[in-house]
Amino acid sequence: MTHALHMTPEALSAYIDGELTPDRAREVAEHLTMCTPCSAEYETLLATVAALRANLERYDAPDVLRARVRTAIAATPSVAVAGADSGATTAQRRRAWGWPVGIAAALIVSAALGSGVTVLASRGRTEPSVAAEVLASHVRSLMPPADHLTDVRSSDQHNVKPWFNGKLDFSPSVPRLEDQGFPLVGGRVDYVDGRPVAVLVYARRQHTINVFSWPTRLSDSPAAASAANGYNLIHWRSGGVERWVVSDLNPNELRSFTELLMSP
Amino acid sequence: MSQSLHDRFEQTVIPLIDDAYTLARHLLRDEHDAQDAVQEAYLRAWRFFASFRGGDERAWLLTIVRHCCYTWQRGRRETANVAFDDELHGDTAGSRYAADAHAIDESERGSLHAALDRLPPEFREVLVLRELEELSYKDIARVTGVPVGTVMSRLARARERLRRVLKRSA
Repeated sequence: MTHALHMTPEALSAYIDGELTPDRAREVAEHLTMCTPCSAEYETLLATVAALRANLERYDAPDVLRARVRTAIAATPSVAVAGADSGATTAQRRRAWGWPVGIAAALIVSAALGSGVTVLASRGRTEPSVAAEVLASHVRSLMPPADHLTDVRSSDQHNVKPWFNGKLDFSPSVPRLEDQGFPLVGGRVDYVDGRPVAVLVYARRQHTINVFSWPTRLSDSPAAASAANGYNLIHWRSGGVERWVVSDLNPNELRSFTELLMSP
Repeated sequence: MSQSLHDRFEQTVIPLIDDAYTLARHLLRDEHDAQDAVQEAYLRAWRFFASFRGGDERAWLLTIVRHCCYTWQRGRRETANVAFDDELHGDTAGSRYAADAHAIDESERGSLHAALDRLPPEFREVLVLRELEELSYKDIARVTGVPVGTVMSRLARARERLRRVLKRSA
């Protein structure tokens, strides 16, 4: 079928970074669900990117450098003032400054929280392309021969939750739903929307349910169901967390599962 | 006017100094050179701040930092050629290489960094701008002055090279 056209390293790389157009991202996602060599290539690339982000050194500017910079600036006039002022009205000036200040303020907040995550909320994400990525990850997780489903295999949330420590910059909640007929199978880390995300795996009879979650700055949105290629997806955002539930389980049972997840 | 300009610089550009320093450290691979380049970059940024008409300060600042790093390096290389017989200079260069060689033996992290150092600068800068500074391809293209397509292929190749290193040490 589509095996003739394997994905280039550039395409996979840009896919991981969320830099493809939504249409192209969907194509890549669909291809990955069907093509074992590309899927393996993608998994390796994911691991490489994660290792690079975790291990490349970030440096804090020494205080002495900060002091040197401030001293140098205090002693220097900002030369372009006269030229820059000509022709710009106060309103234009205010408009030009409006949003960069917002970004910088956001950056200060994120620095204060000690988070290395970029806070520029929109990277051109669109919900359909995120849905395609989530779906591709779900299908890939079920693909033979290797078990891509879980990196940590445990039915005990006390094993799964700590396993995420150090692998993610947030701690996903791991509800226990075994008594309601949804035993926990395990968890893994995957990449969606250009960032690492937590995936919890639950089971219902022979069906597998993947629950994706990651922190978001977007505002809350109620649960919305959709279906694609025979899979059901439910998506919502609350309390700064984005969640996607994917399974081939029927929509009714998947909705009850989602309600259990949403209940405090 | 001048006072509020200073305040804005203090609020928007000064807080980016860790990002600036991280880029400079990776490009110059020397603590002191990186500090000098960042100071120079901030001075330039300040001088032209009044004519900076909005947009992303970070991409703007990193463009200046990158430029100062390469100018700094060029200047150094010329000095090194002129003062090639200077024993003092020879010593300094020697100790820097010794430190690098030591880092290779230290750990997997060390070998990753050594591999990063061996990358041609145009690959290293794209990698740092993406994985550490988390800039979009468009901003990386703007900072490095190449088309987005070039950013994409350099990044893919840089990741490919480092992946081989990580695999070997795994």
